[in-house]
Amino acid sequence: MSLKFHWMLPKGGEVALDGQQSPREAARYRIESMQSTSPAVRPDLAGWTRFARHAEDAGIDSTLISFSRYEPDPFVVACALGQAVQKLKFIIAYRSGLMSPTTFVQQMNTVSALVEGRVSFNIVAGSSSAEQRGYGDYLSHDERYARAEEFLAVCNAFWRVNGEVNFDGKYYRVEQAKLATPFVAPDKRAPEIFVSGHSEQSEHLASSQGSIWLRVAESPSKLEPIVARTRARGTGVCLRCCLLCRPKREEALSAAQTLLPADTKESTTTMKDDSQMYREGNELKRDAFWPEPWLWTGLVPHYGPVWTTMIGTPDELASAFLEYKRIGVTEFIISGWPEVDTVDVFGREILPRINQA
Amino acid sequence: MSLRFHWMMPKGGEVGMKTAQETSRVATTHAHSPAALPDMEGWLRFARAAEEAGIESVLLSFSRYEPDTIFVACAMGQVTTKLGFIVAYRLGLMQPATFVQQINTLSGLINGRVSLNIVAGSSAVEQRGYGDYLDHDERYARAEEFLTVCHAFWAGNSDVSFSGKYCQIDKGKIFTPFLAPHRSEPEIYVSGHSEQAQHLALTQASCYLRLIDRPEKLAPIVARFREKGVEVCLRLCVICRPTMDEALAATQALMPPEEIEKQERKILSSSDSQTLKEALRAADDVGWMNRNLYAGLVPYYGSSAITLVGTPEDLARAFMEYKEIGVTQFIIAGWPKLDEMVIFGREVLPLVRELEGRVSPAAALRRNDQN
Repeated sequence: MSLKFHWMLPKGGEVALDGQQSPREAARYRIESMQSTSPAVRPDLAGWTRFARHAEDAGIDSTLISFSRYEPDPFVVACALGQAVQKLKFIIAYRSGLMSPTTFVQQMNTVSALVEGRVSFNIVAGSSSAEQRGYGDYLSHDERYARAEEFLAVCNAFWRVNGEVNFDGKYYRVEQAKLATPFVAPDKRAPEIFVSGHSEQSEHLASSQGSIWLRVAESPSKLEPIVARTRARGTGVCLRCCLLCRPKREEALSAAQTLLPADTKESTTTMKDDSQMYREGNELKRDAFWPEPWLWTGLVPHYGPVWTTMIGTPDELASAFLEYKRIGVTEFIISGWPEVDTVDVFGREILPRINQA
Repeated sequence: MSLRFHWMMPKGGEVGMKTAQETSRVATTHAHSPAALPDMEGWLRFARAAEEAGIESVLLSFSRYEPDTIFVACAMGQVTTKLGFIVAYRLGLMQPATFVQQINTLSGLINGRVSLNIVAGSSAVEQRGYGDYLDHDERYARAEEFLTVCHAFWAGNSDVSFSGKYCQIDKGKIFTPFLAPHRSEPEIYVSGHSEQAQHLALTQASCYLRLIDRPEKLAPIVARFREKGVEVCLRLCVICRPTMDEALAATQALMPPEEIEKQERKILSSSDSQTLKEALRAADDVGWMNRNLYAGLVPYYGSSAITLVGTPEDLARAFMEYKEIGVTQFIIAGWPKLDEMVIFGREVLPLVRELEGRVSPAAALRRNDQN
């Protein structure tokens, strides 16, 4: 089976509709998007549509729409963007603890019918306890996973059966629940479920209730046993990474240098106090910034693990992706600086090399 | 201020249906009803006609039998430019912060053309399917807390903290604002006839939505809301025809077949020479609330089927009577919704606007006379 490639949806206002944007400008935009004065708080259908067309041309399967209190609701964004483009699919990131599973399924099914089934979701148990409390969710990390397990069990019950759903758990109770609107897609009766995280709970949840475990790219040698045991359970593995591709390796490295903050203490990750993935990222030592010649974690201490970056020439990067394929990775969610330029390069320079191999 | 007219959005598949019976409320709850699926083609046709007819917004109803209203509004908003969407939503389904984030996002994607019809919750059975086990009174108490939190977000408070019986929230912040040309939060319609519903509308809503009734019965209720700065919107159906006879015939035709049979037998058993007056008197027994307001369809089409029946002039005059007692908005339906809306836009609305233009100077004159 060939690898699937997804891409992060840019923040609102991030896609420059005119003029060039340097990698550094794109990176700064994203870092500053967590301020209330950022245009990223507003939906940006024009910019998103432009990105989506480029992603479709590049051969990208889906775009991941992130969830946080700093940005528009990804469910609603997927619905609107799905009206504007006809091929690209949407992975909606959502946290559990925000709505009843019945409502979630009704929303998901409605969106599926409005975008011809081009929708899946990434369930996040919740990364920051402060942010969760702002949504009225006071559970601890482990309890959030227990709740997510119940949440997805109820969702899956709706998608499995066509009749009544009954569930009596610790966090959710529904009785004689029925929804008339089904999940509508040409090829499936339920959306794919990405479960992200590095904790044991997330690994368990991905296999018990999900279809794909989503985690950050690491050395293939380190991931190999993890991927093998996940695949053995019938669960796919998707890696999240950034991509920096230049014709020459030196060019890629000097572009990477421009992404480092002027203030070496800058960090946007202090809020994510409740995530094992982010704790691991904060503990990275300087000498561990190059786990592979093409894998750089130098931005992780500042901006978190999802800034783990695959760096190199088209040839180097294509063979890196193929190495991940060899150990059993099934898909990737990529982002770059700027997103549109990077997705263009990926589609033009890297994907053809992967497909030819 | 001019009266504002909204229309019920047809269910999925309804725009293509020919008979009223097909579109009746009960049929939508059957398994395999087309109402379970979005119907962009039919809805778009309806929306274009609504914009043309001078309809301000459509009300999207919420139930487990239909697609989720927020997303239907989002998709419809992408293919229309003028029409507004009154999104009905039940409470007890999601956190207020999540609700505000979804509504604010929607507003930014459809240029603010969204308002809300907050329903505390209808059938207990349906609510339990959503995981909501509160009783009627508690649902209203929760709605009060829920809307208080929503209003705090819309007021732009940076750290929304609330510790109530049903909603707890600690330093909540939603960065995406409600985006509309002239508002920083959506209009909120609260519906229901209970004490609690009225209280909720008075304290948390911009508009109280209720079923139409005789103007003299509504007058004191409307006055109470208007005094507090809350608008009143009436939910009704209309049957408008060039003559009263035709309107009555159209009304009769809406009776289910066996009912029509019964009616016809009655007519046949009496003399052929019966006049329209007698027909009206006969109909009185099945619910004429006044000369034009008919409740007889309620047993077949639900409580929202109280219907203004008459000529364009009758209907325009009736709307003006409601305007005089302080009603400002209407949400209307008909059988079929599309055809009746086209008639309304062509025949009734221009008359209403004409009367509205005349009324103010006339009222001013009357006041002068009294002085």
